[in-house]
Amino acid sequence: MSKIDCKNIWKIYNGNVIGVKDLTFTCNDKEFLAILGPSGGGKSSTLRMLAGLEEISKGEVLFDGKKVNQLGPTERNIALAFESYALYYHMSVYENIAFPLRAKGMSNKDVDKSVKEISEVLNLESILKKRPAELAGGHQQRVSLARALVRKPNLTLLDEPLSHMDQRIRTEVRIQIRRIHEELGNTTIYVTHDQEEAISLCDRILILYDAELQQIGTVDEIYNKPVNKFVAFFVGEPGMNFIKCKVESPESISLQTSKGKNIFGFTGAVDPKYVGSEITMGIRPQQIGMVGYGGQKSTMSGLVKIVEFQGDNDVLIVELGDINKTRIKVVIPAGGRKFKQEETCWMDFQPERIHLFDETEKAIIKKMS
Amino acid sequence: MAEIRFENVTKYYGRKLAIDDLSFTVKEKEFFSILGPTGAGKSTILKMIAGIAPVTSGKIFFNDILVNNFSPHERNVSMAFETYNLYSHFSVYENIAFPLRAPKWKLNLNREEERKRVVEVASFLGIEELLDRRPQALSGGQKQRVSLARALIRKPLVYLLDEPIAHLDAKLKFSTQTLLKEFAVNYGITIIYVTHDYREALALSDRMMVLRKGKFDQIGTPEEIYYTPKVDFVGRLVGAPPMNMIDGELIKEDGKMSFKAGKYFTIALKNELAESAEKVAKSENDKLNVRLGIRCEDIKLGKQKLSENSFQLPVYAAVREAESSVISFELENTFLHVRIAENAELKRLQISGLLWLNFKPERMFFYENTMEIYKS
Repeated sequence: MSKIDCKNIWKIYNGNVIGVKDLTFTCNDKEFLAILGPSGGGKSSTLRMLAGLEEISKGEVLFDGKKVNQLGPTERNIALAFESYALYYHMSVYENIAFPLRAKGMSNKDVDKSVKEISEVLNLESILKKRPAELAGGHQQRVSLARALVRKPNLTLLDEPLSHMDQRIRTEVRIQIRRIHEELGNTTIYVTHDQEEAISLCDRILILYDAELQQIGTVDEIYNKPVNKFVAFFVGEPGMNFIKCKVESPESISLQTSKGKNIFGFTGAVDPKYVGSEITMGIRPQQIGMVGYGGQKSTMSGLVKIVEFQGDNDVLIVELGDINKTRIKVVIPAGGRKFKQEETCWMDFQPERIHLFDETEKAIIKKMS
Repeated sequence: MAEIRFENVTKYYGRKLAIDDLSFTVKEKEFFSILGPTGAGKSTILKMIAGIAPVTSGKIFFNDILVNNFSPHERNVSMAFETYNLYSHFSVYENIAFPLRAPKWKLNLNREEERKRVVEVASFLGIEELLDRRPQALSGGQKQRVSLARALIRKPLVYLLDEPIAHLDAKLKFSTQTLLKEFAVNYGITIIYVTHDYREALALSDRMMVLRKGKFDQIGTPEEIYYTPKVDFVGRLVGAPPMNMIDGELIKEDGKMSFKAGKYFTIALKNELAESAEKVAKSENDKLNVRLGIRCEDIKLGKQKLSENSFQLPVYAAVREAESSVISFELENTFLHVRIAENAELKRLQISGLLWLNFKPERMFFYENTMEIYKS
């Protein structure tokens, strides 16, 4: 049980290097929140301030409404699991998990009960007698997680716990982490640079870049309503396409082709002050529809330059028919039509799939409510 | 450009067998990938083509010319290593220009021509600004692109690329992958590409080889490898989540064949499917054991019974992807993963409790058990 409030927290190193800038967010009780961003964005500094491993330069951190700025890591009752497993190699799995309980002076009987409980949740019962060195990476990770969770912490903090794992194992460990979170019902904050991981595991995502909060929201909000170009490109693989365009009216934009203008409507509206100005349109490669023939004003022609087969889909690199010959990516689901190199194709940009960004890279479409 | 042919090539490192009687052909102008886990022998193959590692037995041909006794520089190959191998006392520019200056190729470029080519390849790979730096001042990803640029600057008989983008960040990796594909398509060159990442192999290759312990399990186009893996190992190595593999037994009753997966489910098998299952089944303790393979996108889910052949399982967990979701079910020694394309579907199914599953019969495969499957 724990609700975390960060109020205007700052991390300033050596008096002038800003690690985290004026960050405010809430992580609700039982929530699974991801802190996502590229390296150097301030993710780990934030996590370390929450854990009490790093001093908070300015601002307040509250656990269930109580200020914890001055409390040490142990007093905050936090479970931490890092990128490296840091298991004790001379001890059995059982003793590794029991370690934090014994350190607290818990009786053997209670230790045994707790270890058995958490091992059952994490599917570790069959390997309790083994040494960490005998285990595969996925198992080691779970032992490390079990050791973090056995104390029934207020808050679980995970810092890139899967980054050293084989791609194959990762998928399965992710499933298990999600399942554990649901079974234990604790509050979890998960730091990662991998957008796919954040999407698959978390209820909400907080995006940090350049020491600043870019956006916080549910996976759907982040993916479908990114507030700026950075978020739009960072989340989703391949990232969002960007195309130069002109605002025709508060509800439409145009792309210039050699033959004239192609006009596209979009859902919502922009401030009339933008009419006539050059801005950037964004559209996700996964959300572009291919149509059979062209000629209509709401479609755009393109030339297929490269086809990359991905198994469950194809990624096309398409040179658009606009005057800039913008290169975009289009994802075609498996089972759809197969495109060939140098083939002309027609794409449909649906109104609800269009994003617009001004020169400061901010999203500018206001949705009607 | 050259066609590269292996005839019964074997390679031992001391007593350790690295490549086991391997024969295959890489066609002229082909983008050919070698995919396999660590230790499969992928890099050894490249080193033997380059002439850095001698073959123990067998023959290697470049355009029907036996090259076994050719020294590395007589073979005219260009190689990029995963470990970069940059000259630390040279600038990035000089590193990339190095192959152009080798007297052996008699290129005799003047300074201007040389600069033009270096700048061209450097800007193609997005490292133009780094030309004056020393390798020590670069990140791993930058070094890797310098190494790649040095390999691509000259036109050899064949390019040998060993995990050339393995150390790049996810975003940069995908964009560099696209550049490489474009390079290959535009210049019509022979490339042999080593990787452990199936996505790179699928996206880049004209054909690819799946290598395991010095032998190949399958050679084919990316589509063949993905849609019709010939061995369980290929299905597991290619795709995420990997192809589902379910161990069970064949049951014959009244001339009808069915597949029984322990206590979890039994499904009836018709004609060709029954035949294909019987062909690979192994008889042990009065049981006909066989392994069923099916990709996660070839299973349908429903709240209601979907067909005579559908069955129910409890949901273990649901994991989102950007445009789809993976629902997992727990079996005895493995998870069964099912991908649903639309996230709207996720809400409709209200993922929890029991769901009905239906395997698309035309997408079911039966395999001999050649590897252990376990939950990680």
